[in-house]
Amino acid sequence: MMGKMYLIETQNLTKYYGKARGIINIDLQIEPGEIFGFIGPNGAGKSTTIRTLLGLIFPTSGRGRIFGLDIVKDSKEIKKQIGFMPSEVHYYEKMDVHELLSYSANFYETDCESRIVELAGTFDLDLDRKIIDLSRGNQKKVSILQSLIHQPPLLILDEPTSGLDPLMQAKFFDILKEENSKGTTIFFSSHTLSEVQKMCRRVGIIKDGKIIAVEDIETLRKKQLRKIQIEFNHPAEPDEIDCPGIIDPNPEKNNLFFLFSGTINDLLHALDGKDIEDLIIEEPTLEEIFMHYYSEENDKR
Amino acid sequence: MINANIYTKELKRYRNSLIGWSISVAVFILLGMAFYPLLMQEDMFKQISAFLENPFMKNMMTAFGASADMWTNVLGFYSTRNAMFIMLLGSFFSILLAGKILAREEQEKTAEFLLTKPVTRLEVVRSKLAVYLTNLILLNIVIFTIGLLSLEIFKGDSRYSFKAFFIHWFYALLLMLTFGAIGLFLSLLIKRGRPIISLSIGIIVGAYFIDILSRVTPSADKFGYLSPFKFIDTGVLRPDYALVGWRVFYFLGLSLVFIVLTFVRYKKKDILV
Repeated sequence: MMGKMYLIETQNLTKYYGKARGIINIDLQIEPGEIFGFIGPNGAGKSTTIRTLLGLIFPTSGRGRIFGLDIVKDSKEIKKQIGFMPSEVHYYEKMDVHELLSYSANFYETDCESRIVELAGTFDLDLDRKIIDLSRGNQKKVSILQSLIHQPPLLILDEPTSGLDPLMQAKFFDILKEENSKGTTIFFSSHTLSEVQKMCRRVGIIKDGKIIAVEDIETLRKKQLRKIQIEFNHPAEPDEIDCPGIIDPNPEKNNLFFLFSGTINDLLHALDGKDIEDLIIEEPTLEEIFMHYYSEENDKR
Repeated sequence: MINANIYTKELKRYRNSLIGWSISVAVFILLGMAFYPLLMQEDMFKQISAFLENPFMKNMMTAFGASADMWTNVLGFYSTRNAMFIMLLGSFFSILLAGKILAREEQEKTAEFLLTKPVTRLEVVRSKLAVYLTNLILLNIVIFTIGLLSLEIFKGDSRYSFKAFFIHWFYALLLMLTFGAIGLFLSLLIKRGRPIISLSIGIIVGAYFIDILSRVTPSADKFGYLSPFKFIDTGVLRPDYALVGWRVFYFLGLSLVFIVLTFVRYKKKDILV
């Protein structure tokens, strides 16, 4: 049964809130040392998956293991080795930053004091401020520190960059890369593809509570998907060209935009004899590939 | 066992509130008892006892578990005042604290922080319960000390039994514990944003009036046992006044049931922040 040792592994992990769908049959295998991107729009089930992994909510069916330990029975053991950043930060408002971080640190056996001071310096965070007086961005920094100070071998980050300015985001990514180079595994949930693209080697795409694809970032990009813009000398129609592999044709005045998964040869043949002003072929962004996955899922219905 | 980190932090969190309640209760006891020497001045009591003997006032006094002759004794006076106010105040303190100590983490969304730390659900409940009990006991030590002090200061010629004072104090503590256990459990059932405070106050006030009704209406006597207040024995001047097994068992049993229910519920509860 045990082939490869995964750091996080779930089988048919399912959660219903009463009758409402949370997640359905989530199968994930995350290897030690990787940065795994977990992508999907709001409400797709990213947070539900994370909350189930952390024992905040209990699965309706299926199971999950982290470090080989059961996510329901061994939750405390698992959490000794996890740093977690929630998507929305809520702390004890009357505490100051240092109190909060010490409170957090005291749950672990490691001495975190020097690490607190060091990271507060890196992120330019004032330790004496009251939590309630902090801006959203600064609260987010507290959350970053809180997840890192005990130097956990696994970081679970739920939309960690929302509310961070670009400069802090860059510092944060540097630290994540540094931690990762020391062997820390990172589970990175996001709805922004560009940041996942920067950080992750593999990405799982979740939609309506189901995993619709797990791919290497590189494979995703190399899927021969092209972004095509054709400018005609007359107003474009959606069905202007007939060629297999055209996805979501979108006419705009004289232009026709679409993603294309077919061969360039077929396309050129289809264009033969048309009155064309310009033709642009580009590599699509992940965002567009992502949309393509979604539309593909929709087409299957 | 309990998590020392949570225990210390929560104790500190409720420290000011405990100090506030302690001062209020102490002032209340001392001010109330300061009336006793005034009342005992010869002509004053005669006037008052005539007033207290009229049917309406007599009913009122029965309602609060007192009678005119009880007031001539310092402990009788203390315990009826105690029954009226300190017990009520203590019950409010208890149910309000128990009702927020655990549920607050969810209401203020800090449960997500706390429960992603390496602690089990049961450790969280145990630690919170320990903080609640510490607060309840400290407040009751204040009530005990100030109560005894006020008896000594204002007793005059009146004599009282320390044992009876202690027993009455202990019953009140058990009553407060019972309301706390109820509040703790109810706070877990209530959906976020619903007013636990008004529900808690409603429970105490409701139970209090059920008790009062059952005292003034003999036919409603049995009905009174719906209220925990009814289980308190306020007859501090009776020679056979004692801690009675079934009364103690009632309070402890009811508290235990709600505490166990709290553990069972919280262990499996989905934390949806």
